[in-house]
Amino acid sequence: MNMRHHLWISGILTFLLFSPAPGLVRSVPGASPMTEDDLQAQTKAVSQTLRCAVCQSESVWESGAELAVQMREIIRERLIKGETPDEIRAYFVSRYGDFILLKPRTFGLNWLLWAGPFVMLLIGMILLALNIRKWTVLTAASPSPAESPEISEEERRRIEQEIHSFKN
Amino acid sequence: MKNEKGMVRGWHILLLAGISGLLFLFYQGLWGNPSYIPPVLVGTPAPRFEAPDLYKGVPVTLDQFKGKVVVLNFWASWCQECKLEHESLLALNRQYGQNPGFVMLGVNYQDKESLAKEYLNTFGNNFQHIIDLNGRISIDYGVYGVPETFVIDQSGVIRHKEIGPIIGETYDRFTHRILEPLLINQPVSP
Repeated sequence: MNMRHHLWISGILTFLLFSPAPGLVRSVPGASPMTEDDLQAQTKAVSQTLRCAVCQSESVWESGAELAVQMREIIRERLIKGETPDEIRAYFVSRYGDFILLKPRTFGLNWLLWAGPFVMLLIGMILLALNIRKWTVLTAASPSPAESPEISEEERRRIEQEIHSFKN
Repeated sequence: MKNEKGMVRGWHILLLAGISGLLFLFYQGLWGNPSYIPPVLVGTPAPRFEAPDLYKGVPVTLDQFKGKVVVLNFWASWCQECKLEHESLLALNRQYGQNPGFVMLGVNYQDKESLAKEYLNTFGNNFQHIIDLNGRISIDYGVYGVPETFVIDQSGVIRHKEIGPIIGETYDRFTHRILEPLLINQPVSP
């Protein structure tokens, strides 16, 4: 075996050593390898949470717009580099603002969007409970017909007059 | 009983205040411009880039313009509003292009090289253009439509973003309140 053969064999061995196994696409030190299917699934998951900036209520995953295609490529590349979905979303938010997220984050005034309906429901329930309690107390406090005091002669006369005028 | 009445009244006031607050937010939202997206990059360092020159193909970087006020205009040959502002952009470069501290750079966005060149041949050109090959520059700058124009100061910080064509009153505001103060190192008032 001459020097040339040695070089060929060492070259092939080096290639085999550093090339990723078939179907594995992530080669970041310390990171677990990711299959093409995993990568596709993660790209889909991230791009489904991002808004296509040039479309009407479509996610980056659903849209066929060129911008959405380019954004999907970026997501894929960043996943291969080892970035987490949150880091990728943070990148797009740093460029486009919260607008790019299909699901608003729960901070600042945004919490109103999330908590508002529940707070209003709670206030409504408390008010209802207070009113029910008030009605119950009033009903309990009002005297029953049996306990009601006798009406005066004058009142009786007025009632009879009213009934009489109603009949005529 | 009196306490209970006071409590109910307190809740009513709170509920009224809540509903008023919500109505105010709805009012704000309804009367605002629904297509306006607040720019998040203003005041932050301009993303660096390297892209080929439209004509010469040589790489152009943002770093090579450090120390100058850079007007970065994103455009496309298919964009009608870009045609509207094209004459203004040429006028802008005629007005400030002689200033050694000023540079204008066009970024061709989601376009074909041949169509971009044809567009410039038809409508005229007096400044440099680069091609955003895979949309990376546009996405790095948070561009979601064209035309969009960024003003980058001498230290590489984005000082202004203009969405839509720079024409008429916008041109006057852009030049007098943004470019000119920056060129003499004064604060801008967009």
